[in-house]
Amino acid sequence: MASWTAIPGRLGGTIVEIAEVAGGITVLVGRLLARLFPPRLDRVELLKALHHTGVQSVAIVSLTALFVGAIMVVQAAPLVLRFDAKALIGWGSGFSTLREVGPLLIALMFNGRVGANNAAELGTMVVTDQVDGLRALAIDPLSYLILPRVIAMVVMLMVLTVIGDAVAVLGSVIAAQVLLDTPPVTFFSTFTSLLEPWDFFSGIIKSGVFDVMIALTSCYFGLSVKGGAPGVGRAVNAAVVAAATGIFILDFFATFAIG
Amino acid sequence: MAYGEMMAILRLGGRVMRSIRRGNMDRAAVFEQMWIMGNKSVFYMTVTMGVIGIILIYQGGLQAQRIVPDTSMIGATYTKFLVRDLAPSIGALPLAMRIGAGIAAELGSMVVTEQVDAMRMCAADPIDYLVVPRFIASTIMTTVVLVWSAFVMTVSGMLTAYFIFDVNFHTFLNPTLMTHGDWVVGLVKAVVYGATIALISSHRGLSTFGGSAGVGWATTSAVVYSCFSIIVLNLFISLIGQLIFPA
Repeated sequence: MASWTAIPGRLGGTIVEIAEVAGGITVLVGRLLARLFPPRLDRVELLKALHHTGVQSVAIVSLTALFVGAIMVVQAAPLVLRFDAKALIGWGSGFSTLREVGPLLIALMFNGRVGANNAAELGTMVVTDQVDGLRALAIDPLSYLILPRVIAMVVMLMVLTVIGDAVAVLGSVIAAQVLLDTPPVTFFSTFTSLLEPWDFFSGIIKSGVFDVMIALTSCYFGLSVKGGAPGVGRAVNAAVVAAATGIFILDFFATFAIG
Repeated sequence: MAYGEMMAILRLGGRVMRSIRRGNMDRAAVFEQMWIMGNKSVFYMTVTMGVIGIILIYQGGLQAQRIVPDTSMIGATYTKFLVRDLAPSIGALPLAMRIGAGIAAELGSMVVTEQVDAMRMCAADPIDYLVVPRFIASTIMTTVVLVWSAFVMTVSGMLTAYFIFDVNFHTFLNPTLMTHGDWVVGLVKAVVYGATIALISSHRGLSTFGGSAGVGWATTSAVVYSCFSIIVLNLFISLIGQLIFPA
């Protein structure tokens, strides 16, 4: 146990660390924006990254969403039975899934699957000097490696959230039928009458905010790896944790900003 | 997750259990892991779960007002769901990222740098020395940290309800809807999640191969598998919970 006098020093160290990460990400954003207008990026790499981050994540995102939709109904079931309001289940589960839980959980899964993978891949490239190799060949690592990945992640998480929302609603419909004997017609009667298109779009906007966060942190931590294989592990760990914290904090601001 | 993978994780669980029953446990290592997993996650979990508590009450309250104009039951409903599901299941995901990625990265680096093989050469079982302390520490500290997150979420939700919906603290902390079943289900979830995170991540870490790329891949799959297992287990435990403790 450290003595009490060590606390200010450790606190200061933590603040300096956070400032270093925030500053590093800001510089990265500036350099990426400079390459985005006018766009200087590798089209083949962009397509590869889109396939890698998007298409290959559909299975895990859909499975997660299916279970999440079912859980929403399972948890709401006692309350619904208590107030004898079976029809409201469509609105209740739809609202929480589309607006909050869907984007949040899909972003967390995406962070684990794509964010961690991206940090690991970039970290390995840094450790094995492949990034320096690119520079030696006069290929800009930012427009060749980073920009395609960031764009792919930003586009694909929003698309995946749309797919995930749809699958989650399907999961809720199945659970409502099996558990509460509520036919899909009853489910969708409140789902369509009480929900507004805005409930759906605000979730998508949120996921857009999350994926900028995931893409930037994973690229930053991947590029700043030091110290061989253990360094890659540490960087992936730090990237995932930083992005998860960022997702929750941004969720807070997004909720109040979007309303 | 493939079937073979699941069986391998269950086998690892069996070996860990046998090792614990034999009493092969390094107490110092257990406490060190508990410090790393528990104490060092407290700040992170307090921030994320506090924020989630505010968001849930804000979103839930606004919507409840559309249907029922009365906000007096918001606290009773929230705390019931909090104990039964929200705190363990939402809290376990960020915790799985931290603990799971940490375990897999550490064990993966040890495998890649041949430290685990060196242990075997010294007739030291890596499962006794590496997996058992992490399993015990994760099971205990996940539960403790999740109970703490439930407390944080209650406080942040209570403050939000007070400032936004004018629900006073006494009305908010209304235990009439809460049953013993909620506590049992919530605690069972927390313990099961803690054990699952440790087993899956240790298994992924120990089966690392292929240098630094392998470590990255092991860490990624540890996080994905842990999070996915938590969501699947949540559904099953919730269903079983409702069969045993009907509302």
